[in-house]
Amino acid sequence: MSPDVWKKLTSDPLFILGAALFAIMAFLLVGGSWLGVHDPHDMSFAPLSSPSLQHWLGVNDGGMDIFAELLSGIKNTLVFSLLAGLTSLLLGVVIGMLCAWVGGLTDQLLMRFSDILLAIPSIMLLILVAAFFRVSAPVLGLILAAMTWPTTAKIVRAQALVIRKSLHIQAARHMGASGFYIIRRHMLPELFPVYLVGFASKLRMAISMETTLSFLGLFDPARKSLGMMINYALKYYYLDIWWNWFLPPVLCLTMLIMATTLISLSMERVFDPRLGGFVEAGSR
Amino acid sequence: MRVSIFFLISTAINISTPVAAQELEIRIADSKGDWGAPNPFHHYPRGPGYVRMSWIFDTLIWKDQSGYIPALATKWLYDPERMVFCFHLNPRAKWHDNTPLTAADVVFTLAYFKKHPYHWISTAPIKTAKALNPHSVEIHLATPYASFLSDIGGSMPILPRHIWENVKEPHSFSAPEAFIGSGPYRFVDFNKAQGSYLFKAFADYYQGRPKADRLIYFRSGRPLVSLSTRQADLCSIDADMAQSLENNGFVVIRNERGVNRKLMLNHRKAPFNQKNFRQALALAIDRQEIIAKSQRGFGTPASYGLLSIDHPMYNPDTPVYHFNLSEARRLLETLGYQRATDGFYHREGQPLEVQLLSSSFSATGQGAPDRDAQVIKKQLENLGVRVELIALEQATADSKIQNWEFDLAVSGHGGLCGDAKILNEMIASSYGAGSVNSARYDENPELNQLLEMQMREMDKNARTKIVYRIQELYAEELPAISLYYPFSLSAYNPHKGIDWFYTKGGIGKGIPIAQNKMSLIRP
Amino acid sequence: MPATPRKYIILAYLLAGLILIVASYSLPLWLPGDFVTAAYSGSEITLTAVQAQELHAFYAHDQSLRSYMADVFTLKWGYSYVFQVPISELILEALPWTLVLMGSAHVLATVVGFIAGVEMAWRRGRLVEKLGVGGATVMAGVPELGVGVILLLVFSLHLGWFPAAGGKTVYADYAGCAQLLDLGRHLTLPLTTLFLAYLPANFFLTRGSMVLILGQQFLETARVKGLPPIRIRYAHAARNALLPLATHFGMRFAFMVTGAVVVETIFAYPGVGALLFNAITLRDLPLIQAIVLFSSLAVLAVNLCLEFIYAFLDPRVRYVS
Repeated sequence: MSPDVWKKLTSDPLFILGAALFAIMAFLLVGGSWLGVHDPHDMSFAPLSSPSLQHWLGVNDGGMDIFAELLSGIKNTLVFSLLAGLTSLLLGVVIGMLCAWVGGLTDQLLMRFSDILLAIPSIMLLILVAAFFRVSAPVLGLILAAMTWPTTAKIVRAQALVIRKSLHIQAARHMGASGFYIIRRHMLPELFPVYLVGFASKLRMAISMETTLSFLGLFDPARKSLGMMINYALKYYYLDIWWNWFLPPVLCLTMLIMATTLISLSMERVFDPRLGGFVEAGSR
Repeated sequence: MRVSIFFLISTAINISTPVAAQELEIRIADSKGDWGAPNPFHHYPRGPGYVRMSWIFDTLIWKDQSGYIPALATKWLYDPERMVFCFHLNPRAKWHDNTPLTAADVVFTLAYFKKHPYHWISTAPIKTAKALNPHSVEIHLATPYASFLSDIGGSMPILPRHIWENVKEPHSFSAPEAFIGSGPYRFVDFNKAQGSYLFKAFADYYQGRPKADRLIYFRSGRPLVSLSTRQADLCSIDADMAQSLENNGFVVIRNERGVNRKLMLNHRKAPFNQKNFRQALALAIDRQEIIAKSQRGFGTPASYGLLSIDHPMYNPDTPVYHFNLSEARRLLETLGYQRATDGFYHREGQPLEVQLLSSSFSATGQGAPDRDAQVIKKQLENLGVRVELIALEQATADSKIQNWEFDLAVSGHGGLCGDAKILNEMIASSYGAGSVNSARYDENPELNQLLEMQMREMDKNARTKIVYRIQELYAEELPAISLYYPFSLSAYNPHKGIDWFYTKGGIGKGIPIAQNKMSLIRP
Repeated sequence: MPATPRKYIILAYLLAGLILIVASYSLPLWLPGDFVTAAYSGSEITLTAVQAQELHAFYAHDQSLRSYMADVFTLKWGYSYVFQVPISELILEALPWTLVLMGSAHVLATVVGFIAGVEMAWRRGRLVEKLGVGGATVMAGVPELGVGVILLLVFSLHLGWFPAAGGKTVYADYAGCAQLLDLGRHLTLPLTTLFLAYLPANFFLTRGSMVLILGQQFLETARVKGLPPIRIRYAHAARNALLPLATHFGMRFAFMVTGAVVVETIFAYPGVGALLFNAITLRDLPLIQAIVLFSSLAVLAVNLCLEFIYAFLDPRVRYVS
């Protein structure tokens, strides 16, 4: 990253805000043990206690420290989302590029295949897989990525088709440059903002999906997550626990998603002011 | 425990329902809504389905807070010599199409259910049925059948012969006539998409015109919200809600302890096939802690003998496994397990590892899983047994339990206050082989023999004695470990003038739902 | 892009449809558990071995792929195990609710998102744009679930303005306007939840493409020609922002059935999603197959339509050459 870009980024309030949100999360995650956070699996506290110096956000119905659960949940959510988001993006870029470059039958087949994938609600497939094969969270993340690359692929393909027709690429082709060379030297870098922004939206999609899945209880019950916390807190919606139990995971989720959105918006401005935040479909 | 501010502020906002002023309408909310069309061949095989059907179809006898009461039959007698039950029918009883109800209908119903089984009842012990006159019927038993009154008498809906005698395939018969019964309410509508039911009072009901003119069931994701906004008049609630509802003028009623949570053990495989091992697990489980963590204290430790503490045949001397870690460890060590330095048990180099199945969520994500399995895992690891917790979707877990593909599983069921036949169903394979909740345990011949005996013992005192012994044996053998009875509560709006109650032993076969039709009949 | 012959595209779609039919045939059969076990497990009824066997036989599901295909093409979708009524009847009963809820949420979110996106892009860099983007960012971050529950607690439990559950007041015997009002009151909270959930994506999408388009040559020409700004915005520029929005709209159809499940659960709103998930819970295999097939074929059909709509909307034709 050039110093110029970095300077632009750091002077952008959106980026600063997004980065600050991430920094807070990171601080909480890293500093957790240092802050004296309890073991999130310890069930020995008095159930449904109010927040106190001992338990900053109180204790849940199972006698577990809510703050510790929250930190553990954020960590798990982030790991899952990064894995699913990155893999999905990688698949999407590779396949999208391939379709745009090769075209013809390959393009048709891959695009129809992606239509089929789009037609299958990923939640349903994940429920099946989780219920039947009892796979771990990372594997579910990879399956999610395998289900969700088509949205990126379609957008990358569309943009690549545009670039492919542009004058300098045409010129490069006339000069006899190989397809691989053109993709590597021209298309990939030029599309950088597209998939950079695409990554942010994939990440966001993965965060939401992880929340939904854990809300539905599809993960190992011992694995803490924000969605699971919301699910449990929701069970007691009639008690006065919404502000210290229900709200924190909702706020953390909002912060996580906001932080990714902010950073992607700011990157879009800095990298390519021409290309407005191409927030892709299926982001939620 | 503090109560949500929403509650304190939300006083009765009466969302008036647009019915004529003199018409009384009762609305009952539940979170699932759809329980099948309300006739014996269409309702779901679950309590709420049966209850919806019970408004339309009357049985020979019925139950209220104190026990059996007359329904279609005003009097009933048993002649042990001839093994005959005689029922005298209420001469005023008639069908919703105004045809009189006679003994011939009862005879027909028994024959029809023999041909097209209705699994809520067992027609096997019945030899024949004879109509003595239009209003008396004799039912001859093939063998003595101790559960006759609960089963045939109190659970079997009587079908109108003039409608069903030509119906060859009852499961695909859904014409309007399929919903003609003799109960206090006539069927008007069942909306599958909305999960709603509409019943209208049957003015000529033989026990008098029902109090409410319209009875409506509807689906509500949060029944409590519907209740406190006065959109619902009755719904079942969680124990934590009771206080605030009472403060807001609702009446909260509590059921007997007829539903339990239990720990199923795969006693067909090692190490769970050893009685000592099962007992060690029972000793290591602190049920008070489970109740505290999983139910916020709203539960009672269960009898190890399965039958509820509130059951008339409950044996107070049933063996108890008080939480005792050192005794549990001693038992494990007699089985050859040794505790390693990490605190976990091993035998012959193999670590002692078990899987714990919890089926606490459904695909709809409705309701958060309870903490039972998590607490049990913690307690067993405390004992020195490694536990892998497996959460599976309900139906998936059920089929695993059914096929014996599990080690330990948390499950639960009701019916523990109803007829003692529940013991047979929950213990012996010959009764419960097709059930997920049944322990299907046949290792102790005495136990199985007693189970058979109690079914044939028509004398209540003699039967009680047998049932006492069954509970002792069951508690000793521990084919499954009873954990606790969660509180079961309902709340209703008293301004409608209806006093709802929980039925002694549960509606019909032991359904723990406070929607007894007698609430709307009696003054 | 090398022009693909139209029949080529249609052929590819037909193939995809065929694959989906085969998939829907086999998909439910992978579901662990079966109807009898699922239906009777929480029951007060205890089945004996013989009874269970009879029930299993009654609900046996061993249809060959060929007869399944034949049934699909002749629109014979069979009977639901649970309801014992034709599946088409069930879907037709539930579909209007889903269409009304999801459809109006999508249309509203798309229209509002589109207009907001166009206007914000036009005012890029001004305070109002920054506020708009900030607001949308926050909105995009709040999970549907959180919005739904908060709306339910505030407007239903606390204020009592809107009903807590269902699609209508059942058996209220309203007439005409009163009935519409009742339907509207029930629709408000779930619709608002979904609208708030879908709005940001549409907004960002439109704004993004608009920013891209506003820098294009042809708009300069339009400006030079002295056309009124609103005409430049909508008649010239925004027209090109429709393609990604249409794609997005089409893609959302994939989530038509399952997309509202959370909301349908929170507000107990009737619909195909609720029907499907109940069917899964009870392992009502014929119903699961039918809904999965129906919804995925619908997505395919929508995509095919979009393929042809692209021809009208494709902005590349304009700003690349």
